[in-house]
Amino acid sequence: MAREIYAYKCRLCDTMHYPFRMVCKNCKQNDFFEFDTVPLPKEGKLLTFTRVYNLPPQYEVPTLGLGIVELENGMRMLGQLDIDEPKAGMAVKGSVEIVRQETYDGYYGMVFRSA
Amino acid sequence: MRDVYVAGIGITTFTRLEFALSEIASYASMMALKDAGITEVDQVYVANMGAPRVNHQTALASAVVDSLSLTPAGAAAIENGPASGGSAIKAGFQAVASGMDDVVLVVGVERMREVNGLEATDFVATLTHPIAEYIYGVTLPAHAAMFTRLYMDKYGVTERHLAMVGVKNQNAALNNEWAHLQQEISLEGILDSPEAMTNNPYVAEPLRFFDACPVSDGGAAIILVSEEKAKELGRPLIKISGVGQATDTHAVHEREEPTDLLAVRKAAADAFEMAGLTPDDVDVAELHDAFTILEIVESEEVGFFPKGEGHIALEKGETALGGKIPINVGGGLKGRGHPVGATGVAQAWEIVTQLRGDGGERQVEGANVGFTCNFGGFGNNVVCLTFEKEA
Amino acid sequence: MSVDLEKILRPIPAEMAPYEPKYMLLASGEAAVVRAVDRDEIPDLLKHVEPLLHVERDYYDVVASRVYAELLSHYQYRFQDQYVLAVQVDGELAAIVNGRQVTPTLGLSLHTLALRRGLRVGAHAFAAKMEYHFDVLGHDEVLIVAESPIGFRRWMIEYKLEKRFEIPHELGGVPSWALTRELFDAARSSLVVGRRPVPPEILEKAMEAILPPSDPPTPALDPLSATRSKYDPTATALMVERWAMEGGMQDA
Ligand SMILES: CC(C)(COP(=O)(O)OP(=O)(O)OC[C@H]1O[C@@H](n2cnc3c(N)ncnc32)[C@H](O)[C@@H]1OP(=O)(O)O)[C@@H](O)C(=O)NCCC(=O)NCCS
Ligand SMILES: [Zn+2]
Repeated sequence: MAREIYAYKCRLCDTMHYPFRMVCKNCKQNDFFEFDTVPLPKEGKLLTFTRVYNLPPQYEVPTLGLGIVELENGMRMLGQLDIDEPKAGMAVKGSVEIVRQETYDGYYGMVFRSA
Repeated sequence: MRDVYVAGIGITTFTRLEFALSEIASYASMMALKDAGITEVDQVYVANMGAPRVNHQTALASAVVDSLSLTPAGAAAIENGPASGGSAIKAGFQAVASGMDDVVLVVGVERMREVNGLEATDFVATLTHPIAEYIYGVTLPAHAAMFTRLYMDKYGVTERHLAMVGVKNQNAALNNEWAHLQQEISLEGILDSPEAMTNNPYVAEPLRFFDACPVSDGGAAIILVSEEKAKELGRPLIKISGVGQATDTHAVHEREEPTDLLAVRKAAADAFEMAGLTPDDVDVAELHDAFTILEIVESEEVGFFPKGEGHIALEKGETALGGKIPINVGGGLKGRGHPVGATGVAQAWEIVTQLRGDGGERQVEGANVGFTCNFGGFGNNVVCLTFEKEA
Repeated sequence: MSVDLEKILRPIPAEMAPYEPKYMLLASGEAAVVRAVDRDEIPDLLKHVEPLLHVERDYYDVVASRVYAELLSHYQYRFQDQYVLAVQVDGELAAIVNGRQVTPTLGLSLHTLALRRGLRVGAHAFAAKMEYHFDVLGHDEVLIVAESPIGFRRWMIEYKLEKRFEIPHELGGVPSWALTRELFDAARSSLVVGRRPVPPEILEKAMEAILPPSDPPTPALDPLSATRSKYDPTATALMVERWAMEGGMQDA
C-alpha cells in the first residue's frame, strides 16, 4: 500500500490546506470538520533547502537534508531530502517513509529524491 | 487607557548560570526593584519557555513571587516561545494601562544550559508545527537556513553580509558587561582565512556557527508603573508608548510569500501607530537576531529600510553605533545571548538603559525613542514595542 | 652512587622527530602558533596550570591536576617518551597538549587543556597533536580517552573515533578509543588546519617567552554548583542510549 500525506479541502470553498487545521483559512466556516482529505501530490520542485549539522539527539545520522517543495498543485510542504547536491528549482519526487524514530514510535513523513 | 512607565530595570549576566531557575529570576528582579526603589508590587509576570520541559519545574511564577517575598501579589507565568518576554511586557502594560494595577514586575528567565546543546536545540524546535515540521527534524537553525537561501537568491544577501552582522553584534557585546560572548571576532577569522571553515563550520547550510546566537542562561526584569507612581518614584521617565503584537501561520511553508515576515511588519506598524511615531523617529533599536539573517530582514519589515535593502544599509554602516539607526548596540541576541524567555525583557532593559543615557561605551548619543522587536516561533508570533523618554 | 640510581630511574628516551611549528588564524583574526615545548620551558607552563587545579567546572580540576603531574614528571625525567605542544596567541599561553609514544606504531594521547575559551583553540591543539602522531612520528593509531563531556564531543564525536574498549587507557585504566590513520585522513579537510612556515616575527614572539594567559578559566562562583544539576548535562547518556539501540554496549 502506497502511503499518502493528506491535504484538507474545505467542503464550502474548495480551499486546500496542509497541514490540517480546524477552521478554513479562506471562508472561516465553523461547522465541525467540513473537510475532505485529498492525497498531496508527490511531485514538485524544490523551493529552498538546507543541510543541518546539529540534530536533535534522537537522530542517529550526522547530518540531515531538509527542504520546502512546491508541489504540482501549487501547495507547499516541508520534507526530508535524500539528495546529495540539492539545487533550488530542481524536480523532486516524494515517498512517504519513517522520518523520525523515537524508541518504539516511528513517524511517517515525506522524503524527497531527485525526480 | 493610562500611560505606562518603566521605573526600574535589572539583569543577570547571560552565560551558563549554575543556579536554580527561580534564583536567576530573583536576581534580575531584585535589581529592578532596587532600581525603582520599591519593595512591593501588585502583580508579577514571569516570562519563560522551558521550565517544565528543561528544568522540570511548573508554576514558576509562584516560586518567584515567594522567593522575592512579594506575596500576596498576583503572579502568573507566560509561555509564548521566544516571544515570551515581549508578551509578558504586554500583559504588564495592559494591567497598568487598564488601571487594575499600579506596579507590575515583569521578569523573563531561562536556564537552558541545564541540558546539553542538542537537547536545548530539540527543546526550542518543539515550537515548530508538530506534524508538518517537528517530526522531520526541523530545528530553528534549519528554518532560518531555508529562509536565508531564499533571501540570498531574491535579494542578493551573501554569506559576507551575514558574517558582517555577526561581527558587528558579537563585537558590540564587548561593550556590554552582562553579555554572554566576550570574545572579539573578525571577518578574516570567520570568513576569509583558510581556517575559516574550521573556525566557523556550517550548522545548517548556508548558516554557520557564528551566524547563530549562543545558548544562554539568564534573567532580565523591568518594573512597569502608572504615571502617578512613576513621578512619585522619581526615576527617569521612560514611557512605553506603543505595543504591537501579530501572528502568522504556524507552519512556515504556508506563508504566501516565503520571504515575507508579515507578523513582524504588522506588529511594528501597530506599535508605531499606537505611539504616533514612524520608523524614522527611532534612535536606537533592538531586533531579534537569533540568526544574523533576522536582523537584516527585521530591519526591513519594521520599516527602517525598504524591503530587500537591509543588507545594503548594513554595508554602509547605517545599523552600527554612530549610524543612522544603530541596531543591537548591546550585542543583540547574538552577542548578549538568548535565554529564550528572558530575551524580550532584556531588549527592553537595553532600550531603557539607552534612553536613560546609561549606555557607557555603547551609548547612542541623544537617544529619545527606542524600539524592540521580539520574534517568536519562526516569525509566527511577534511583539514590538516603542519606548520614549520624557523630559 | 646516587648518580647510578638516577640512571636506573630515568627512562631511556626513544628517538622522536621534532614537530615543526605552524600557525592559523582564529575566529578573532588573531594568529595562533602551535609549537613544541622544550623540557626547560616546562616550569613556565606549570605556573599557569596550577591555578586550573582549583577550577571545579568542565573538569578543569581533574585534567589540570593530571597535566600538572605529567609535565612535572616529564621535567624530572620520570615519564617515558612524552611530548608537549603549546598554542600561543601573541606569546600568551592559550592551550597545552601532550601525549606519548608507546611503540613506534602506536601513540597515546594524554591531555588537551585550553586556557582560552570560545575560539576552538583546544580543538586546533588536539588536531596538531594528532598530526604529530601520524605525520611526524608515523603512528598507525592513537589511543584516546575523554575526561569531560566537552572533550567527548570534540574528539569522540567530531572525529568519529573507534572503540578499543578491550585496551585499558593509561589514564586511569578506563576503556580506550582510537583514532586510526584512516579516520584522521577523513577528518583532515574539515578539522585540521594550519600553515607553515610560521612568519618569523610571529614565531619569534612565541619562542621568546610563554606569557601568562590573559583570560584563563576561573572557578565557579559556587563550588557545589556543578553537582546541583539534576539531569545529565552531557551528551554521554545520549550516546549510551544510542549504543543500546544499536545492540548493546557489551559487544562494543
Ligand atoms: C575540551 C577543550 C580542550 C576544548 O577546547 P576548545 O576546542 O577550545 O573549545 P571551548 O572550550 O572553547 O568550547 C567548548 C565548549 O565550551 C563552551 N565555552 C566557550 N567559551 C566558554 C567560556 N568562556 N566559559 C564556559 N564555556 C565556554 C563552548 O560554548 C562549547 O560548548 P558546547 O560544546 O556546549 O558548544 C576545553 O574545553 C578544555 O580545556 N576543557 C577542560 C579540560 C578538558 O576537558 N580537556 C579534555 C579532556 S579529554
Ligand atoms: Zn473554506
